[in-house]
Amino acid sequence: MEPIIEIKNLTKQYENGRGIKNINLEISEGDIFGFLGPNGAGKTTAMKLMTGLIHPDYGDVKIFGHSITEDYERAMAKVGCLIEIAEAYAYLSAFDNLKQLARFYPDVDYQRIDEVLELTGMSKYKHEKPKKFSLGMKQRLGLAAAILSRPKVVILDEPLNGLDVEGMIDIRKLIQKLADEEKTTFFISSHLIHDVELTCNRIGVIYNGEILNVESTKTILRNYATLENYFVSEVERNGRLSSSVG
Amino acid sequence: MAVFQAALVNELEKLYKKKKALAALLLSLAVIVIGQIIIVGVRSGFGLRTAGSMEFPMLVLSVVVNTILPLFTALVTIDSFSGEFAHNNMRITLTRPVSRLKIFAAKITAISIFILATLLLLLFFSIMAGFIFNTNSATLDSFVRTVFSYIVSLFPMVVLALGIVLLTNLLKSGISVFFVSILIFLGLKVLGVFFSQYSSILMTTQLDWYNLFLMKSFPLAKIMRQFLIMLGSSIMLFTAGFYLFDKKEL
Repeated sequence: MEPIIEIKNLTKQYENGRGIKNINLEISEGDIFGFLGPNGAGKTTAMKLMTGLIHPDYGDVKIFGHSITEDYERAMAKVGCLIEIAEAYAYLSAFDNLKQLARFYPDVDYQRIDEVLELTGMSKYKHEKPKKFSLGMKQRLGLAAAILSRPKVVILDEPLNGLDVEGMIDIRKLIQKLADEEKTTFFISSHLIHDVELTCNRIGVIYNGEILNVESTKTILRNYATLENYFVSEVERNGRLSSSVG
Repeated sequence: MAVFQAALVNELEKLYKKKKALAALLLSLAVIVIGQIIIVGVRSGFGLRTAGSMEFPMLVLSVVVNTILPLFTALVTIDSFSGEFAHNNMRITLTRPVSRLKIFAAKITAISIFILATLLLLLFFSIMAGFIFNTNSATLDSFVRTVFSYIVSLFPMVVLALGIVLLTNLLKSGISVFFVSILIFLGLKVLGVFFSQYSSILMTTQLDWYNLFLMKSFPLAKIMRQFLIMLGSSIMLFTAGFYLFDKKEL
């Protein structure tokens, strides 16, 4: 199957020594890919590079065959994303915030805006301004913005941040619904192992800026009791390898 | 083009909804009211002829292009760039299928539209005030020259805005940009006084270039020279500003 997202030799190093090194990944259609790693492992850096918010030192990301560094508009045409904190214009209502984004997509009308607000449980707040929203409500609005254009690929960085249990279940259901019904491909980063286990069908572990392993959730759970066991084992194995090399 | 239009409509909507642009427009109108009160006061108090109906709009223009218009241009420009960087709002647009060049161009176009709207509004109300309160000195020629003076004042203001855009991409904080802009503005004004022979290349002197259009003998060569200096400055400032905007990591 043709990969939808191709990440080749992606490298970005910050002055403090953190960043990502030589990341190679291929994501196929229908994947709900979980990007698992501890804080500071390089998840957000990778996602910012994938969405053009920062520029790589080396390597490239191609989405639907279009390079994010050379052909940004085409690469992002079918992509929705939520990176780090869900941001919204504080002086515009939830509806007006989405209206701003809708203008970039010819086939997104006001009915679609209402639809995504309904899907994310934000309908009753559509005329309210985000400055009065809780973190969870902002996150829901950010998710509504990410799926507004009926994207084929959705990139979500810690999408469950700030959500209560009910909210987490709702969003998980929404992700699964979109993946099943609209064949949307998801690339989700999270440090919440349990949620990654329940939501994702492929998992990549990132540690110290490097990809340790990529495996299907089914295979992992066949060999390990939980995803947590697998994660700990991968990180420990890497730690041992690094120390023996050192 | 459709993507640029969408970005431009978004920028204009943000300007309108933020109310800052509206406040700037209202304060500009306050200048007309205060100016008119002073003129009426001087006339009735001292019996002096102050300004005719067509002289009043020029008086207003000479005051606003050197004071509140650069100030509001700075505020709106800083808000559009530094403000959005500070609140992480820039990410909202930058993760959409629109290139950074189009976003950058849309922001500058929206700021230019704001400046033009302010100038036209000032023109309309100052002409109205001039006709209502002052002695009639209007001729078709003076009317056309007045309208022209207001419209051409847009060019140096856009150059100024581009200079501030460059600063917003160089300095992190909006407050720093504001104070550095004021210092540079005052510095250029002082330089213009001490080195008057070179003043035509200074941004602050160009603010008064509308005076060239008021001369009886139309100084075409001088106007062209000033225009080309402003065009050259705009291209350099736009390119430098965009280079930094494009490299910006969020």
